[in-house]
Amino acid sequence: MSARFDVIVIGAGHNGLTAATVLARKGKRVCVVEKAAQAGGMARMTDFGGGATGPEIAHLLYNLSPAVAKDTGVAFDAQPLPTIALSPDGFHAEIRGGTLRRAEGTLHPDASAFEALDARLVRFAALLGQLSDKPPPTIAEGLASMASLRDLGGLAKLGLNLKRLGRDDMREFLRIVLSNAYDLLLDELPDGPVAGALAADAVRGAFSGPRAPGSVFTLMYRMGQGCDAAWPMGGFGAFEGAATGAGATLRCGTGVASVDVEGDRVQGVTLEDGTVLQAGAVLSSLGAEATMQLAGPAHFDIEATRRLRNMRTKGTAAKLNLVLSDVPDMPGLSDAQKAGRLIVAPSAAHVERAFDPVKYGRASDAPVIEAVMPSLTDPSLCGQGRQVLSAIVSYVPFAPEGGWTPAVRDDLTARAIDTLETYMPGLSGLIIHQTLLTPDDIAAATGAPGGHWHHGEMGIDQVLTVRPVNGLSRYAFGIGGYYLCGASAHPGGNVTGSPGRNAARRLLTDGIPA
Amino acid sequence: MTQRPASTVPIGLIPGPFHDRLDALSHARGWMDWAGYMSPTVLDTAEFEYFAIRNQATLFDISPMHKYRVTGPEAPAMINRVVTRDVRRIGEGRVGYALWCDEEGMLIDDGTLFRISDTEFRLCCQERMFGWLLDAADGFDVAVTDESDTVAGLSLQGPTSFSVLKDAGLDVADMKPFDLREVEPDLWISRTGFTGDLGYELWMPWEAALALWDRLWAAGGHWGLRAIGYDALHIARIEAGFMAAGMDFQPVHAALRLHRGRTPFELGFGRMVDFDKGHFNGRRALLSHRDYGARTHLVKLDIGGFKPAQDALIYHRKRREVGHVTSGVWSPTAKRNIALAELKAPFGDSKTSDLWAEIYVNEEGRWNRRMVPVTVESKPFFINDRARATPPGAF
Repeated sequence: MSARFDVIVIGAGHNGLTAATVLARKGKRVCVVEKAAQAGGMARMTDFGGGATGPEIAHLLYNLSPAVAKDTGVAFDAQPLPTIALSPDGFHAEIRGGTLRRAEGTLHPDASAFEALDARLVRFAALLGQLSDKPPPTIAEGLASMASLRDLGGLAKLGLNLKRLGRDDMREFLRIVLSNAYDLLLDELPDGPVAGALAADAVRGAFSGPRAPGSVFTLMYRMGQGCDAAWPMGGFGAFEGAATGAGATLRCGTGVASVDVEGDRVQGVTLEDGTVLQAGAVLSSLGAEATMQLAGPAHFDIEATRRLRNMRTKGTAAKLNLVLSDVPDMPGLSDAQKAGRLIVAPSAAHVERAFDPVKYGRASDAPVIEAVMPSLTDPSLCGQGRQVLSAIVSYVPFAPEGGWTPAVRDDLTARAIDTLETYMPGLSGLIIHQTLLTPDDIAAATGAPGGHWHHGEMGIDQVLTVRPVNGLSRYAFGIGGYYLCGASAHPGGNVTGSPGRNAARRLLTDGIPA
Repeated sequence: MTQRPASTVPIGLIPGPFHDRLDALSHARGWMDWAGYMSPTVLDTAEFEYFAIRNQATLFDISPMHKYRVTGPEAPAMINRVVTRDVRRIGEGRVGYALWCDEEGMLIDDGTLFRISDTEFRLCCQERMFGWLLDAADGFDVAVTDESDTVAGLSLQGPTSFSVLKDAGLDVADMKPFDLREVEPDLWISRTGFTGDLGYELWMPWEAALALWDRLWAAGGHWGLRAIGYDALHIARIEAGFMAAGMDFQPVHAALRLHRGRTPFELGFGRMVDFDKGHFNGRRALLSHRDYGARTHLVKLDIGGFKPAQDALIYHRKRREVGHVTSGVWSPTAKRNIALAELKAPFGDSKTSDLWAEIYVNEEGRWNRRMVPVTVESKPFFINDRARATPPGAF
């Protein structure tokens, strides 16, 4: 059996779906091939049974780019959520819209210091954010073509905007951009839950602690389009809806066995069941190395295969999903605050210490947690008064020493629940269902290399012109008609759709052979 | 991995497999560092040794060359991914000249590729390639072995080399140029060399080296067999028009500065790049280099006068600097002053007239600058039918 399309997109994660939508809206015949039974990738909803549904892996929207929304028509009814920095002493803090106050509503002693720091970081983040809607800049092609001149123009604009920050801000930006979050935060704030929450944001999903160089960059990346997290009402289905609505064909349940190449051009894909789908272009939202392997290393230069093989992709975030029989008691928080993004990171130093064990193949003794109960914002998710508690647990190794035995998994689950129970007394008595997804599980379920949030560490050696690796940074992936459109491409992970959109636009510029 | 104690690490240059014999023959005591081995520059005098290459037979130890064996069902595919030519056209028992490039199409090194069997190759080259070949092997069902210090190589070159082999009991009469054969267990002979003359290269286990040397030496007296050093070979290889790594091109893995790499097109080996065989390293970059055109040309030059022009600058109309000599010698056989030179395009290709070399001469303490005319040659300076005759003549 064989069918012909203009473009095949491998993987129906949010980036694959975004790419498919952009192309389908331009009148291309697009087929999205997804290995799992359900589309969505890391951004998908799951039914926990008993009338409770919730986000399986990713659970918040941060950086959905306006450019993506415009090019795909994806519209989320996104409810912004406050960030609650939980404090073991019960004096929690609320961060909302760049302001800081105590959870009970009174003035927080660090409010003005926080607000000045936050405003500065948001300003800087916008500078980096403008790079997200384009392929990473290059000067390699020099002045040879109009396209490379446009690139240089973008680079010049970045320089100009940097200049426009003013002398002091420009110096400050250049001073901190490659530095570590820990020092930056503690220059301005006393170490405690607020600094802890920001430090945790800087390194969530990363194989690094907040004292590692480059963690300011990842913090800014997270703030790229404004830093408030939001819950998309109804879940993440809008990506899938936009793709099918634009006319893309979605094929779930069978993965791609190989990308077919002839004469240094992709010809289509062969599915695991032997079905051949022909196309002039193939976009892959898999990890960068997996994308190379699908076509076969023989089609790539030796340097490229070596770099792809050595990409740093050790995921450190596990996911714990709990179905609760009732809203847990959370002393010190209002109902609106309970629905917020709850951060367990008592201090920046705590986050750094939590990272240490993962270097040696063990999970954190005292994990850092980002928890949210979307069913409080979106009651349609659960019936019978039930609630879904979705928690991202850091740091958890991809391959623990001795492997993921049931005992190790249970221990991790218990430790995470125990940590949450400090702030939610009686939590364990409410649990009627629990699912733990280790980085290993996430890799198996989604194909994300190492189960990594960003499909590859957002280190300074793996961003911008060297993302995923030097020489393959501008979506075109060696073979003619082959493109990388997932989180391992610029600008990286989070539910942004930006890599997918940028890759699709690159393909449209290059043109699709009939 | 086992580690040897540090005390066994040799300090300084180490003796090669033929060292005992070379040392006994070395009147000149001229040694150089070749890949860490003590290799003779000259044993007697370079002139005697050079004329032995062209008129008798010579032995030169080529064991310091790097040798890598690639074995496995996917060996042809893996090698084809590395080199620019199509190795499927090199039959079993044949040797092919090969070049390989980095991802930007710049030459990493050149060498000889021995097809031992359908699934077994040996790559022989100047530069260290083990790490590179291991990277290249990823995803292929092959094993790569570094044989650099287990396989000894001996180059027997010169018009009487066939006769020496014959008298040593090694009959290779029917071997054509670039043929390869295991003439005796563990002794491989290829009809290859770096002199442009009749000659053979013999490959054997490291510990079998001295016995083979003695066997050839015993048979060779009658045929004028001499041991030689690098200096004599250097003259012969320029006469034959062969380029040398590090002199006529900069192996790109060893070059630190930008734009020091050269494409096969720029070195005159466009015909060795097969774009139709499927992907190989640097193919995409080489396609654009082919379309963009060469930046430089490596050419053979006949230079006026008799002073070797090593490193001389080349000028167009005696004014504009357009290149430099990379290897230059006086050719005793051609009786010409010859050189290889790198010229900026289009010089050396479409523009070849009115070229001059700048030569400095020391006239008893006074330095003089001479502009001597330069002619671009298309053919090697030494060509002799005896090099290709099969069966070869006695001398």
